[in-house]
Amino acid sequence: MYNLFIFIRKYNAVILFILLEVLCIVMIVQSLPYQSRKMANVSNSITGGVHKTTSNWHDYLHLKSENEALSEHNALLLKRLGCEEVEADAEYYDDIFTYIPARVVNNNIYEMNNYIVIDKGSIDGIEPDMGVICDKGVVGKVVNVSKHYASVMSMLNSYSIISCRFVDNQYVANVVWDNKNYRYGLVKDIPSHIVIKAGDTLVTSGFSNSFPADVMVGTIAEKGDADENMFSTAKLKFSTNFSTLRHVYVVKNNFKSEIDSLCITH
Amino acid sequence: MYNTLIRNILRFIVLLVVQVLVFDNLGFGTYIHPYVYVLFVLLLPFDTPRWRLLIYGFLLGIAVDIFNGTPGLNAAATVFLAFMRPYIIGITTRKSDIEDKNAPSVTEMGLQWFAIYALLLILLHNLVLFWLEAFSIKLLGLILAETLLSAPVTLLLIIIIIYIFKPVKK
Repeated sequence: MYNLFIFIRKYNAVILFILLEVLCIVMIVQSLPYQSRKMANVSNSITGGVHKTTSNWHDYLHLKSENEALSEHNALLLKRLGCEEVEADAEYYDDIFTYIPARVVNNNIYEMNNYIVIDKGSIDGIEPDMGVICDKGVVGKVVNVSKHYASVMSMLNSYSIISCRFVDNQYVANVVWDNKNYRYGLVKDIPSHIVIKAGDTLVTSGFSNSFPADVMVGTIAEKGDADENMFSTAKLKFSTNFSTLRHVYVVKNNFKSEIDSLCITH
Repeated sequence: MYNTLIRNILRFIVLLVVQVLVFDNLGFGTYIHPYVYVLFVLLLPFDTPRWRLLIYGFLLGIAVDIFNGTPGLNAAATVFLAFMRPYIIGITTRKSDIEDKNAPSVTEMGLQWFAIYALLLILLHNLVLFWLEAFSIKLLGLILAETLLSAPVTLLLIIIIIYIFKPVKK
C-alpha cells in the first residue's frame, strides 16, 4: 500500500497525463458518428451567440455582394413564376416540401469533417436529417438541433453521402468528398458502361426524404477510371461555393414521418 | 503573485478569443491550420508543477474544442504538448541556464532558443492533432504535410503575437 502511494506520488504527472488523454480519446471516439454529436448541442447554444455576433459584422461588410446575389435569385424566381407551362404534378409536388430560410453563422471548409451552424433551431421547426440547400445548389444535412441554432453537416465532410442523378441519362450515383478541396467532390458508384463527359450535370435524385428532386449538385470536372467492380468515379465541381455561403434554405419534408413509417414496415 | 495570475488569465482569454474568432476563420488553404493558442502553455513559468501544466493544457484545449465542435481533439493535442514541455526544456537547456530565469519567454531566453523550443513543441502538438483528426495511418502523407506546413506558420504567427504584446521597457 505504501509502495503504491510512493508510486503514485512519483509518477503523478504521468498518471494524470494518461487519464486526461484517455478522457480526450473517449470524447473523440464518442463524437465520431456524426449523429451522436451530443456535445454539439451544448456548444451550439453557448457558442452560437458568439458566432452570431461576428457573423453580424461579417454580413455588414458583405452587404453589397449579398444584395446582388439575392436580387439575382429573386430574378430567377420571378422568371420561374412567369412560366405558363406548369407540369401536371407540380402543384402537389410543392406541397411536399417547405423551405425555411436561415443564415449561416459559422462555416468551416478546411477541416476534414466540416460543419455549418445556422441561426434556426427547434423552435423554427428544424429537425435532424433535414436537407439544406442554397440558391446555387445542395449544401448538406442537419445533424444536430438546439433551441435557436442547428449544425449542418456540409457536403465537405467524410460522412456525407448525397444521392444524385445524371440529368442526361437519369443514372443514379453517390457524391462524397475526398478531403482535398472545397470546390471539388467525388462521384462514386457510376456504372462503368455509361458514358460520362466533363460538363455533365448532376442533380439530387429525390430518393432521400431530405431533398427534393432536381436540386443542382454540380458538374463533372474530370472523368476517373473504373475499378474492379465495374463502377467508375469522377471528379465533381460543386455548384455551391462553400466559402461564400451566407443564406441557405432548410428543406422540410411534410410527409417524412409517413414515408418513414412505410419504410419500417418493409 | 497576483500579477502573474491575472496576466495568465488574460493571456488565456485573449489567445482563446484570437484563435476562435480570427485564426479558425482565416483560410490559409487545405494544409495550413495555425493553432496559436498553444502559446499560453509555452509561456507558463518554469516552476509550474507538471500536473498543473497538464490541467491548464486540458482546459485551454477543451475551450477551443467547444467553439470548434470537435470534443477532445484540441484537448488531447494540448495535453500532449504540456506533457512533453519539461522534456523539451530539458534537452534544449542546461539546468544552470534556467535557475535564475522565470519563464521560457523571448525576453528571458532569447529569440533563437525560444524558436527552437516552440517549433519542437508545435510540431508534436500538430502531429497529434492532425493524426487524431484523420484517425487513420492511411492518410499519413496528408498528416505529415499538414504538420510540416502548419508548424512553421504557427511559429511565425506566435512570434508576431509576442512582439505585438511585448511590454514596453521603462
